[in-house]
Amino acid sequence: MNRDLLNRLLGSGERDPGCEACFELLDQYAEAALRGENAEAQFPQLAAHLAGCPACREDTEGMIAALRRQGPSGSSR
Amino acid sequence: MTNPPLDEDSARWLDELRGVAPARDAALRRLHAILLGIARAEANRRRPSLRSDVVADLDDLCAQAANDALAAITRKLGDFRGASRFTTWAYKFAVFEISVRLRRRAWSTRRVALDESSWGRMADPAQDVQRSLEQRELLAAVRRAVEETLTEHQRRVFLAAVAEEIPIDVLAERTGSTRGAIYKVVHDARRKLRAALETAGLREAE
Repeated sequence: MNRDLLNRLLGSGERDPGCEACFELLDQYAEAALRGENAEAQFPQLAAHLAGCPACREDTEGMIAALRRQGPSGSSR
Repeated sequence: MTNPPLDEDSARWLDELRGVAPARDAALRRLHAILLGIARAEANRRRPSLRSDVVADLDDLCAQAANDALAAITRKLGDFRGASRFTTWAYKFAVFEISVRLRRRAWSTRRVALDESSWGRMADPAQDVQRSLEQRELLAAVRRAVEETLTEHQRRVFLAAVAEEIPIDVLAERTGSTRGAIYKVVHDARRKLRAALETAGLREAE
């Protein structure tokens, strides 16, 4: 029954550590995603938070896009 | 837990940022330039969805974001444990700062009325008849649970964040709260609503 609507209204129901905890792990999550690893499996609580928080999801997309632009070495000098 | 060994580049950043002038000043200038570049690139990525008046202010918004990101990084330098590259860790502050500014600007001129229409907008008009009926029943059940189980504060925040999809950092700014605190209100409200719907037997029917 309308699972998308239900998830949007009620979230995933998984254990959710909140925005601050999500921000703490965001760099590790983005690097794992860029390496092609299963970031959601490595950080299941963060993945649960992203499912219910559009703002953190948007920031995570921005982080992954930033890393992609910088290339795999992330060279900064 | 043991911290992972730092890569060479990250170690050099830390040495210089924890060091003294002139090496520290030079590192701060380099880092600021990197943060500004990240903020600008992120703003450009979102450009198609931005209003023209927000686009006109992007230079200012990106400069503010880079300044605040650099301030946050120097304040929190002791928190960096090397779980990622230093630059990756630094990027997230720039992405966060520009994201918050873009969302706040996007909503700065919008007035929001939390009323009957909020619920109506959640239904997908493209659904077939059967799914449309199920959707209306689901929305009616959630709406009943919202009215019967949530506190007034939870109800207002839930409707604003979930029904109207106002970003939580915009809500935080408007209510003098924090993003984390607003999200917790939404999280607690959802938990109460899930319990109420399970009691009513609705979740089993998914």
